[in-house]
Amino acid sequence: MNAELPLSHTVGEGQGEGRHRHKPAIAHLFWWFMFAQGGVLAAILLPVHILIQGILGPLGIVPVVDRHYDTWANVLGNPLVKLYLLVLIAFPFFHFAHRLRYLLVDLGVPAARGVPAQIVFYGGAVAVTLGTIYILLTTVPISFG
Amino acid sequence: MTATKRITIKATRFDPDKDEKPRLQTYEIPFSDDSMVVLDALNYIKGHVDGSLSYRWSCRMGICGSCGMMVDGVPKLTCNAFLRDHWPRPITVEPLNNFPVIRDLVIDMDDFMHKLKAIKPWVIRKQPVPLGGGAFVQTTAQIDEFRQFSQCINCMLCYAACPVYGLNNEFLGPAAIALARRYNVDSRDEGLGQRLPVLADAEGVWECSFVGECSVVCPKGVDPAKAIQQTKLDTTMRFVLPFGNRD
Amino acid sequence: MPRGWWTRRSNYFWYIVREFTSLPLALWLLWFLLEIRRAQDGPSGYHPHSSLGFVIFSVIVLLFALYHSVTFLSLAGAILHFNVADRPIPSQLIVLSQFAAWAAASVVVGFVLIYFAR
Repeated sequence: MNAELPLSHTVGEGQGEGRHRHKPAIAHLFWWFMFAQGGVLAAILLPVHILIQGILGPLGIVPVVDRHYDTWANVLGNPLVKLYLLVLIAFPFFHFAHRLRYLLVDLGVPAARGVPAQIVFYGGAVAVTLGTIYILLTTVPISFG
Repeated sequence: MTATKRITIKATRFDPDKDEKPRLQTYEIPFSDDSMVVLDALNYIKGHVDGSLSYRWSCRMGICGSCGMMVDGVPKLTCNAFLRDHWPRPITVEPLNNFPVIRDLVIDMDDFMHKLKAIKPWVIRKQPVPLGGGAFVQTTAQIDEFRQFSQCINCMLCYAACPVYGLNNEFLGPAAIALARRYNVDSRDEGLGQRLPVLADAEGVWECSFVGECSVVCPKGVDPAKAIQQTKLDTTMRFVLPFGNRD
Repeated sequence: MPRGWWTRRSNYFWYIVREFTSLPLALWLLWFLLEIRRAQDGPSGYHPHSSLGFVIFSVIVLLFALYHSVTFLSLAGAILHFNVADRPIPSQLIVLSQFAAWAAASVVVGFVLIYFAR
């Protein structure tokens, strides 16, 4: 492994005191915060949705709300459900965006650290958020029934 | 009387004046005593086989932090890596990963030294307390906040284990951040404001993706991965909470 | 770093798996978004997914989801630190409470998904 490090490798120019552009990186802070929030939500909420709506429902083992139009549309009209679904879908995408960007870095794509990649990945999460809002608002009208 | 066991050591050799790149050289040496460690083997080679082999070492007892090398691909203090755990298989000894090699098993540690200095690893007071100004009183609970992080001996094993540092040498890295936290959570210290710009910089804590291997290889039980994540959390809370202290 | 660095130690490999979980989870959530959208098709046009392929896909995603949950909640427990009466709460207790929150949320969500199917 070490054979690949050239001797001319410069050291000390990075984080040393010679560089004075140190500022708290607010953008990094914000995206990390969103990553952490999305990670928690995905961890505690996604497995049960996948188990019931992706496996038990389609196999007919339990009745599930999205198996019939009436029950599904009824639930989707509830504003609290709309809000819940927005949180359930939007936040994890900021988590995914962050992880997949760093996964690319890990797999040898240093460009994934740059600003264009950040715009693509976090912008993608923003796009999913906007798309989710649009779908939730236009699919079944809000009803308080 | 039984014949003395023998063990094979493959050590990295590299002379910047002659060699284009490092190569492995094989030595077979007597494994005479079950308490022998890799550092003993290197000392035997240097004393009896090949005096030109270069490596750093000092205390032989896991305190000085200078004998860290890759032992069969894992960063270890060679004074704490027993031959008996490997025998009869050969042992490969290489310089620490992720650092430039100066010669044989000796790496260039300048980058780490700059980073260490950048986080100001000493107690900072806003108003200097004059000599004779009395003692800083600390409770055991206050000491427990930072005691674990203060065990760091700057051996750089965590840097050799960190793929994030390996992929991007600009990353501040595990030990420097753990030591920054050691002072930031010390009740005597008032230097958070001076360290935070370095810690929360783009190449600071945010680069870490929590591989966690730094904490696995640490020979002193320090948990740098935890220090980094806690610094992320604390820094974020200072901005997110409505009455967060943003100085 | 050589490209295949993450294949050289099991810890590195499982770290990459942990990061990779986000891809199947993202795909499943995009499907879920579609499932919501299809409620627009009206009573006669609505046919929920039932194919065996979809169930197999969900089973695979569920394995990744469980791996994400276990690793994320365990690691988050190691980060969070609260002091009560000047003493830190043991991190095992914090991890345990995270898993309890996961169990409670699963029961509530599962109940809603099944109860309102009638």
